[in-house]
Amino acid sequence: MISPAAAYRNLLLFVLPALAVYLVFAVLPLATSIVMSFFQTSGTSSDTFVGLANYERLFTHPTISGRFWNALLNNMQYFAIHLIVEVPMGLLLAALLTSGKLARSEGIYRTLLFIPATLSVVIVGFVWRLIINPLWGLVGFPLLGTESTALTTISLMSVWQYFGIPMVFLYSALLAVPNELVEAANIDGAGGWTTFWKIKFPLIAPQFGLIAILTYIWTFNGFDLVFALNGSAPGPNYSTDILGTYFYRTFFGSSGQLADLDLGAAVATIIFLTVLLVTAAYFWLIQRRLKSYSV
Amino acid sequence: MRSIRVSIPLAATLGVMFSGGVGAAFADPVTITLNSWRTEDIAVWQDTILPAFEAKHPDIKVEFAPINTNEYNAAVQSQIEGGAGGDLITCRPFDVNREWIKRGYFEPLEGLPGLENFDKTSRAAWSGADDKAYCLPVAAVLAGFYYNADIFKELGLKVPTTSAEFIDVLQAIKKDGRYTPLAYGSAESWQLAYNGLYSIGPAYWKGEEGRLGLIDGKKKLTDPEFVDAIAAFEAWKPFLPSGQESLNYADMTQLFTLGKAAILPDGSWDINQATSTGLNVGVFGPPVPKAGDQRFLQEMPDMGIGINAKSAHKEAAKTFLDWVAGPEFQELYVNAAPGFFAMSSKPVTYKNKLAQDFADLKKGAELTPRLALDRLSAGTPPLDDETWRLLQVMFTKSDVTPQQVATELQTGLASWYGPQKK
Repeated sequence: MISPAAAYRNLLLFVLPALAVYLVFAVLPLATSIVMSFFQTSGTSSDTFVGLANYERLFTHPTISGRFWNALLNNMQYFAIHLIVEVPMGLLLAALLTSGKLARSEGIYRTLLFIPATLSVVIVGFVWRLIINPLWGLVGFPLLGTESTALTTISLMSVWQYFGIPMVFLYSALLAVPNELVEAANIDGAGGWTTFWKIKFPLIAPQFGLIAILTYIWTFNGFDLVFALNGSAPGPNYSTDILGTYFYRTFFGSSGQLADLDLGAAVATIIFLTVLLVTAAYFWLIQRRLKSYSV
Repeated sequence: MRSIRVSIPLAATLGVMFSGGVGAAFADPVTITLNSWRTEDIAVWQDTILPAFEAKHPDIKVEFAPINTNEYNAAVQSQIEGGAGGDLITCRPFDVNREWIKRGYFEPLEGLPGLENFDKTSRAAWSGADDKAYCLPVAAVLAGFYYNADIFKELGLKVPTTSAEFIDVLQAIKKDGRYTPLAYGSAESWQLAYNGLYSIGPAYWKGEEGRLGLIDGKKKLTDPEFVDAIAAFEAWKPFLPSGQESLNYADMTQLFTLGKAAILPDGSWDINQATSTGLNVGVFGPPVPKAGDQRFLQEMPDMGIGINAKSAHKEAAKTFLDWVAGPEFQELYVNAAPGFFAMSSKPVTYKNKLAQDFADLKKGAELTPRLALDRLSAGTPPLDDETWRLLQVMFTKSDVTPQQVATELQTGLASWYGPQKK
C-alpha cells in the first residue's frame, strides 16, 4: 500500500511533463504577449512601459478602431452563419445517420460527409474559388467581389468544409442514447419526430451546447480560409476582414501596412478576452443548467 | 515573442561567424560579402555574375550571402547594429532605406565614378535626407500594357498613343465582340494601383512634379490632375470582363494567355508568364492625355547596393560597385532575370525581345516611381493601402466617383502627414 501523500506525489510526477509543456508553449507566450501590449518595443532601443496607450490607440484612432470594429462585426456574422447553418446541419445529418433508415450504407455516408473536414483550407479555398469564378466557373455573379455577398460566401465555404465536425460529435452522442428509451417511446405511440425532440435531443443537449460554444471559439480564432482566399487585407473594402486577419495585418504587417508589434499584442489580448469571457459566461450560466440525464 | 528576440542575436552571431570564417579561408585576395534578399538569384550570382567580376579583379573575391526575404530587414539591422554584416548590403527602396541611412549604416557613395551613369530620379529611392547617394541603383521593374498582336492585326487596330485612341481601341474590340478588351479584374486591389492608376496617372500629374508635390505638401490629391488621372482610370470599367469584381491576378493573366483578351495591363516582372503560351505579344506604354504631350513611364526601383559603414574593405567594395554600375554587370543581371531592368542611362541590350521592347519604352519617357510609396505610406492610414482600397471600391460599386476617391484619399493622408496638414 502506498500512502495518500505518496499517491499525490506520484500523480504530480505524472502530470508534470504535460504541465511543463503546457506552461512553456501555451501559458508563457500568452502571458508575454499580454505583457507586451503594455509596452512600446518597436522603434526604440529599449522597451518602455506605456500603460494602456496601445489600447487607447486601438480604440480611439479613427482608422485603427474603425477597422477593428468592422472586423469584430464581421466576425460576429461569420460566427452567426456557422451557428445557424453548420450546427443544425450537423444535428440533422447526425439524426439521419442514427435513424436506422440508412441501414448498411450508414458507414459510407458518415465517411463521405466527413471528408471535407479532412481537406486543407488552401485546397478548399482554391476549389471553391474556381467553382464560383465568373470566368471559368458555374456562377456568373461575382460573389467574392461584391461587398454584400463576400463574407457570407466565405462563411458558407467554411460551413461546407467543417459541418462534419458537429455531425460526428452529435452522432456519437446520439449513439449513446439507450435503445430502451427509444423503444419505450415507440410503444407509447411516439413517432420519429416526437421521439427525437422529446427523448433524444434532451439527452444530447449538453453536447449540443458544447459544440455551439466550440463553434464560437473556432470562428473567433478563425483566420486561415479568409487568408487563403483574400490575403491579409481581405477585401473588397475590408468586408471579409475578421479578427484573425486584422491581428495578422497589425502584428506582421501587410504589403501596404507597416508591422506594429505592440498594437498587435493589444489586439491579440482583446481577442483572447473576447473568447474567454463569452466562453466563461456560457459555462457559468448555461452549461451548468443543462441537466445530463443518467440512465 | 520570446523566440523573435532570441533569434535576432543568434542570426547576428551566425553572421559574424560566417563572415569571419570566409575571411580566414581566403587570406590572400580580399574577400567581401554581399547581403541580399534574393535567395532565388544565388545561382545567377555565383555562376555568372561574380566569376565575370573576379576574372577582371583577381585580387577581390565576392561572396554572395542571401537571407530569406521576410527576415532580411530584421537580420540586416541586427547584424549591422551588432557591428557585423556584409561589406555590401542590398538596399530596399525608399522608407526602409531612409531609416537605415539615418542610423548611419551606409558609407556615402559621393565620388564613385559609376554613379554618373544614373540620373537623379533613379537615385532618389536611395538618397538620404541630405540628398546624397548611399546605394547604387541596380534594378527596377516597369509597368505597361501587353497586347495580343494577332488580335490587333485581325481587327486592324493600331497601338494607341493618346488616351482617346486607347479608349477607341477598347471600344473597337468591344464592338467586335469576340475578345475581352482588357484582361483586368479588381479582386486583387494592389494591381489596380500598381498596374493601373500608377501606370497611366503620371501622364496627368506630370510624374515627379506631382509625386514630389504631394510629398512636400504643395499639391493635394484633390487637385484636378489627380482627379483627372483617377477618372481616366475609371474609364476602363466598361471594357473589363463580366464578373471582373471577382477576378484575381492569375485569372487576368490566364484570360490573356489563352488568347481571349486583347490587352493586359501589367508589370514587367510578368514577361515570362504573359508569353508562356507562345502568343505573339507586344507591349506599349501608358497613353498621353493629348497628342504631343510628354510621355511618362512607371519605373519602380526594386534594389540597390550600398557599402556597410563598418566594412573593413571599403576600397574593394567600391571597386565592385563601380563595376556593378557599368554595362557589363547590368547586361548579365537583366538577362538572367527577365522583367528586371537596369536603371542606368547607358544603353543595355536585352536578349528577351519583349524585355527589349519594354526597355525601349523608356526612351523619351520621363520615369517616375509608384506614387505613394515614398514617405506617404509611413503612417496610418498608409496612402498606398488606401489607394488600393478606394480604387477597388470605385471598381466594384457603381456610385463612387473619382472625385469622392480623391477626397477620401486626401482626408486620410492629411490626418497624419505633416506637410499635408496645413
